[in-house]
Amino acid sequence: MNPHFEQRDGVRVFVHGGPAQQPRRLDRSVAQGEELRIVLPLACNVADGVLAALRGRRYGSAVGRILCGGAAHLSYHRMVVTDKAQRPYDYGAPVVLDGYITFISGAITVGRDAQNRPLLHCHAGFLDRDGQQHGGHLVLDKLVVGSENLVIRLCLFDHVAYQSQPDAETHFSLLHPIDQEAS
Amino acid sequence: MNASAVLEPELSASTVQTGRLGRLVVARLKPNEDIVDSAEALCASHGIELAVIRGGLGSLIDANLGYLGRHGMKTLAVPGPGIEILSISGEIVIGDSRLQAVVADADGNIFAGRLERGRNLSFITVELTLQEWLPD
Repeated sequence: MNPHFEQRDGVRVFVHGGPAQQPRRLDRSVAQGEELRIVLPLACNVADGVLAALRGRRYGSAVGRILCGGAAHLSYHRMVVTDKAQRPYDYGAPVVLDGYITFISGAITVGRDAQNRPLLHCHAGFLDRDGQQHGGHLVLDKLVVGSENLVIRLCLFDHVAYQSQPDAETHFSLLHPIDQEAS
Repeated sequence: MNASAVLEPELSASTVQTGRLGRLVVARLKPNEDIVDSAEALCASHGIELAVIRGGLGSLIDANLGYLGRHGMKTLAVPGPGIEILSISGEIVIGDSRLQAVVADADGNIFAGRLERGRNLSFITVELTLQEWLPD
């Protein structure tokens, strides 16, 4: 099927190239979480800092927020139109910013890749040195703390994980909640 | 001006609850699922009366964000597709949820507001994590 838009109940829906399988919501429940407040210092690579904070802890995955802070360097992606029939929208080339970046908002999921290694997924909004807004898919491997420390709150949970799996409907690899023992 | 349309604040006593956070519901919304309806459906299926958003990340086809104007709720429409969810916050109470989001369009411009029910559909995926509030 060719991906296309349709109108339903007054809003646009998007029919992806692959089969739309039921159920439409996937979920798992866990009894409780463990809270972490992570403060990353100037010049810290954020992916390295977050993974170091998680090392040795029992958790399947984690979710949280960028609460406040600044960056000296970052790279993020926005959605663009492609020429691929089965994947007509995808992330474009990275937008790279340097120096005096102020965070406004951000969300982080710590999932797992197919080999059960931690996988960081982050979307965030920020202002550059000229006050210009930016927002999109932030690459934490390329994010360096600057100007002031960066504060992240995470809620860790075990027995359940967000694991990256191929998705036949959208043709992306996406994080799916699964039952899993803590690593 | 239509005076009857002006919203008057409802005066009542403050409510203070003590309690704790309980179960986490860890979810993925597939394409074309609405955020507010899905959050409430997740609570209903787990028997949760009130929950808070702990994690919300993904993309929307289009965003429809509400805000309170002088004459009632207004809509801020952010055309997509590929509206990136930068964060979601708020409380889920079945039939009466109030969820706010910060989003970015494909040019990286940022918008914020109340998520309108039935009008913020997942584009590729949404990772949504809720946690129940258990009052004492």
